[in-house]
Amino acid sequence: MKEVIVHPERCVGCMQCMPACAAAHSQSKNLFQASLEIPRPRPRVHVGVGLFNEGFPNRCRHCDPAPCLLACLPGAIARSAERNTVFIDPNRCINCASCAMACPFGVIRYHEDHTAPPGKTVAVKCDNCYERQLAGLIPACVEVCKSGALRFEERSEAMKRKTDEVARTVSVGAAPVELAPGFALLNAMKRKQIDLAR
Amino acid sequence: MNDKRYDANTITADGRLLLKKLERDGVDSVWDRFRAQLPNCGFCEMGLSCRICVMGPCRIDPFGEGPQRGVCGADADIMVARNLGRMIAAGAASHSDHGRDLVEVLGKVAVNAAPGYQLRDVEKLKRVAAEFGIKPDGKQPSQIAAELSDAMAEEYGTRKKELTLIQRAPAKRQEIWRRLGVAPRGIDRETSEMMHRTHMGVDNDWKSLLLHGIRNALSDGWGGSMIATEVSDILFGTPQPGVTRVNAGVLKKDQVNIVVHGHNPVVSEMLLRACQDPDLLKLAKDKGADGINLAGVCCTGNELLMRAGIPMAGNHLTTELVLATGAVDMMVVDYQCIMPSLGTVAACYHTKMVSTSDKARFPGMEHQEFHPENAAAKATALVKDAIANFNRRGEVFIPVEPVECMGGFSVEAILGALGGTPKPLIDAIAAGKIRGAVGIVGCNNPRIQQDYGHVTLTQRLIENDILVVDTGCASVATAKAGFKQSQALEKAGPGLREVCGALGVPPVLHVGSCVDNVRILVLASALANALGADISDLPIAGAAPEWYSEKAATIGVYFVASGVYTVLGPMPPITGSMNIVKLLTEGLNDVVGATFAVEPDPEKAAVLIRTHIEDKRRKLGLPYIQV
Repeated sequence: MKEVIVHPERCVGCMQCMPACAAAHSQSKNLFQASLEIPRPRPRVHVGVGLFNEGFPNRCRHCDPAPCLLACLPGAIARSAERNTVFIDPNRCINCASCAMACPFGVIRYHEDHTAPPGKTVAVKCDNCYERQLAGLIPACVEVCKSGALRFEERSEAMKRKTDEVARTVSVGAAPVELAPGFALLNAMKRKQIDLAR
Repeated sequence: MNDKRYDANTITADGRLLLKKLERDGVDSVWDRFRAQLPNCGFCEMGLSCRICVMGPCRIDPFGEGPQRGVCGADADIMVARNLGRMIAAGAASHSDHGRDLVEVLGKVAVNAAPGYQLRDVEKLKRVAAEFGIKPDGKQPSQIAAELSDAMAEEYGTRKKELTLIQRAPAKRQEIWRRLGVAPRGIDRETSEMMHRTHMGVDNDWKSLLLHGIRNALSDGWGGSMIATEVSDILFGTPQPGVTRVNAGVLKKDQVNIVVHGHNPVVSEMLLRACQDPDLLKLAKDKGADGINLAGVCCTGNELLMRAGIPMAGNHLTTELVLATGAVDMMVVDYQCIMPSLGTVAACYHTKMVSTSDKARFPGMEHQEFHPENAAAKATALVKDAIANFNRRGEVFIPVEPVECMGGFSVEAILGALGGTPKPLIDAIAAGKIRGAVGIVGCNNPRIQQDYGHVTLTQRLIENDILVVDTGCASVATAKAGFKQSQALEKAGPGLREVCGALGVPPVLHVGSCVDNVRILVLASALANALGADISDLPIAGAAPEWYSEKAATIGVYFVASGVYTVLGPMPPITGSMNIVKLLTEGLNDVVGATFAVEPDPEKAAVLIRTHIEDKRRKLGLPYIQV
């Protein structure tokens, strides 16, 4: 089964996954119209800032066993084995924040959502874009990511690729492979600036 | 409270204290907004995003697996070159349009349509007019001014082959430009052509785009900006050395404080005049103030500092902070580098904010449009308003005592101090007492601790006997750090200390606002011409350790295209194309005899510059050392 896999070394920090995620979880599914909806749709993926101002797309890992699920008192959180996805039922959620306290990755937010009863604040997080998947689409964050930091692929495929990448670096006489020399140069300069500030 | 956060933002004592006050008052600063923007978009930082047409917007994946071309087919080289080209065009447009406004005032002064303005330097008027082929024979200054104003206005859309003022460059330099086909033909033309070339489906050879970038930047450096400086001198006086004071401590608790901000002296010179009006001074006294204190920030401040010794409250990243003193009764802005946040910051204090240019409006500011015809009257009215605001002050916090500084080093003043010719300077360089000279220019940028780049680089250069001339926000940084007073000679190496000591000047010379970078071009040309050499032969360099603006990008390009090796602090958005990185940092040497370097660490930038200067000394057959 394909799932969203994060490759942090490729994140260029453009944050396009965030508005795409918000729009995918809106009523209209259209970025411009979504920006006018009430309640305002919000992203389930959040780009954080690393030590050297690099980006990192932080999203739900859909853990198994999931600490949030175990911590949920009203039983609003459940796992769909079929989709390997942890869901929150907004009708059952009591907005107690137990799940967020249990979550090691800080990916759960609390706000109103068009799927929840009007005016009710609920726990919201990534649902692997199950609606889009049912329609034959890939998750929205992956669709807009142009640098390959977010991919929708078989876990085994990703592991194989990584294994080969590592294998190539230990080949006899192998020169170090630079993925993107310009990106490496930019990061080196940014790192220098930040080192200076410390 | 953990004060280390303030220390990381700025090296300045006034900045740290005012930042703390701003935070206590619950006001966002430029640093807060900078942090909220992190991480920056990597596509944009690399020049790999293109918003030029609506088949896109497009991005190119730097890792080579996602899209490698925009919808139109532009690859990374084309995309980066187009973005850089438009950046240069915007910078050239800004400084050159500033020049146009001055030419218009000159034209109005000539027909007595600009009450309050006058021709303060008639000698310079005649000298510059002669360069434009205007014969003085018995003409009144106003007649010459009218003809010069027309001739300069022509330069913007000239039908001649080349701009007039490129003749100031050494003959060898002019030849290089002609051979490359980059001699600028018209100030507006080159900017307009850049916008055309970067439209979808026009110039799609990245090298040819960059060559036009050079021509566009030259149209500013040897055109629009140069006109701006020369006309400012004619209208408001050519700067002469004088002593004044800098940092937020120049604001006075017991006086009406008016702060001018922006770039163009057209408005601020009239305010200066009004601030000296005895009737208004009396009005201020009647309101309980001890006088009217006009101070500057940013480059409008530099214009007044250079010509009238008006005190300077701070540079780019201090512009919000000075409002936190609660002592600014009015801030009057013209244009460029005025953060649109200022109106919001001022709303938390009693400061009255006034915008003055028909082309620059800001939220939270009252718009009082200045034109040459009404400027004198408007200025009087504004000063009256500022006086009326004096009694509305709340808590006043002047964080530090001001620092003394010397300014006013126009090329005329520098040559004057040398006895009318560059020869003593050349002799000192030839003897090795002075190893060379460096122009440190440009802005502040929240990516870098405020002033750290400027001050560290300046210190390392002067202690190694390299003369520093600086402009813009860089010049305010070193003034605040005390490099522009006689005691600063102690920070200089023995040779530089001896020469500057004998001339009675500090080791760091304030040559003006950022538009006045052209004074550095004129000075470099004077040195090169005296030696029969090209600018690229000289042991000189440029640096922009904390640049942020499009204008600075253009300045960098016209420096390099004029033969001056230039070290940038922040990386420009070009790393998406290693071809362009290589061309700008290596390949240009074979094209224009100079390159860019990028080095965020000023300690390392100093080593790069010293190495370059000693290398040039070696090539000139002068004594040199290994750095």
